[in-house]
Amino acid sequence: MSAERTVLIIDDDEDFQASIGAFLESEGYRVVLARSGREGLAKLKECTPDAILLDIIMETMTEGYGVAFSIKHQPEYQAFQDVPVIMLSSIHESPDERFPRAEETELLRPDRYLSKPVDLDVLLRTLAQTLQHA
Amino acid sequence: MERDRGRSADEAVQGARVVVIDDDYAMRLSCRQILTKSGYAVEVFEDGAKGLEAVLSERPDLVVVDLKMPGISGMEVISRIHAVDPDQVVVVITGYPTIGSAVEAIRAGAFDFLPKPFTPDELRLVVRRAVDRRRLVLESHRLEMEREILRRRVATFVSHQLKTPLVAIRQYMDVLLRLEGSEGVAEQREEWLTRSRHRCDQLVRLIEDWLTLSRSECSDLAWRHEPLNLAKVLEVTVEACEARADECGVSLDLTLPDRELVVAGDEGCLGVLFTNLVENAVHYNRPGGRISVVARVERGEACVSVTDTGRGIAEEHRSLVFEEFFRVEKDSDEGHGGTGLGLPISRRIAQEMGGKIDLDSEVGVGSTFTVRLPLLNREGMTPPVEHREEALR
Repeated sequence: MSAERTVLIIDDDEDFQASIGAFLESEGYRVVLARSGREGLAKLKECTPDAILLDIIMETMTEGYGVAFSIKHQPEYQAFQDVPVIMLSSIHESPDERFPRAEETELLRPDRYLSKPVDLDVLLRTLAQTLQHA
Repeated sequence: MERDRGRSADEAVQGARVVVIDDDYAMRLSCRQILTKSGYAVEVFEDGAKGLEAVLSERPDLVVVDLKMPGISGMEVISRIHAVDPDQVVVVITGYPTIGSAVEAIRAGAFDFLPKPFTPDELRLVVRRAVDRRRLVLESHRLEMEREILRRRVATFVSHQLKTPLVAIRQYMDVLLRLEGSEGVAEQREEWLTRSRHRCDQLVRLIEDWLTLSRSECSDLAWRHEPLNLAKVLEVTVEACEARADECGVSLDLTLPDRELVVAGDEGCLGVLFTNLVENAVHYNRPGGRISVVARVERGEACVSVTDTGRGIAEEHRSLVFEEFFRVEKDSDEGHGGTGLGLPISRRIAQEMGGKIDLDSEVGVGSTFTVRLPLLNREGMTPPVEHREEALR
């Protein structure tokens, strides 16, 4: 029986948090919620998650990308650089489409990209896969 | 004004590239001399084929071409250029000027027509006009592109705003179905169904607001411009908002002047204008707070101010509050279910009516939104400006 894994959900939609959070808890994950990028980065340090679900569009159209960038590249979050980040958006556009320059997507390096509404089985599978590699 | 235009036109001239295509040596020489002296960068070609090649590869600011040439004619040069680059500006010159050939040339896409012999001044004038035209064409393309980028950005943003409540509802449904039969799901179900319903209502309101906002852009189609009694509209609005104000523990009062206030507009839209302001004042207020709606005449205009005792709006946000979807964070946004479109809609409506909305605010004290609208006098006309200035004195 594997140890309980913690998933940090950073999403400004409280309903999305409630449903997906409850679902992941029912699947045995420990869930930590954050309503904004700023809160997410703070909670990151507190709870040391095994994986992060990160919404892209929050207060701005690209806030999620900013958060991902911070986690991956700022020295302050160095300890969490390798925590897998799964980005979510209702806009069905991959980072490659949104940022046509390869260097930009490379910089952001989302581990996975899922579109909303999230298929629950796809979510579970994606989490399992990324956690396996971590 | 004239001086300014002259200066910038000269700037437009400096270095503007002109290609001259004429089989007549003397013509090529004199065009080059005259235009170079005026600051243009000139290239000359003796036949249509060579000229055409140069034009298509270099895309100059202007092409001057003789109509009658051996080999490829001027007309053919024009049509071949425009087949590739419809924005290329072309001026035709010809020693056989007839009305017919002038019309034909213009129809073929030439911008202007200059009959030989022409004086240096005539040449310069025509060329200047054509180069200016070129600048305008390029500028309008740039604006078109900007508009297109903006439109796409707005479309993306709107689709996200509309999808978000649907995504939330869908995820609730998915998880409920998945958790069906498990412990504690009944309680979750009730809570989540209530939340889903709330999100549905929010979505409907958002769509309505978007329709109102885009409707107000088609000003001649959607708007009735009839004389309206502003006091009556305000009374109806305030009455409609009273229940919500009571719920939030906020008092709401309306002060009207003795005289009649008649404005021209669409009654429904005027109601929306003030409802949005009052609803905002309710939402961003504090319990025990107050909203004062005061209507009066000021400087010959109808003036309605909506003052609240809320948190106030920080200076850096003041221009943003009228932007679509901008919302200042408030902890209990849930009950409001606002769409972030109220203020932009109100402002658009005010503008359509020839008026405007100003914002004055002090953080920690409150905000005052002041709507100014032109008054109609008894003949149903807006008083001319002189009369308004009279009122100032």
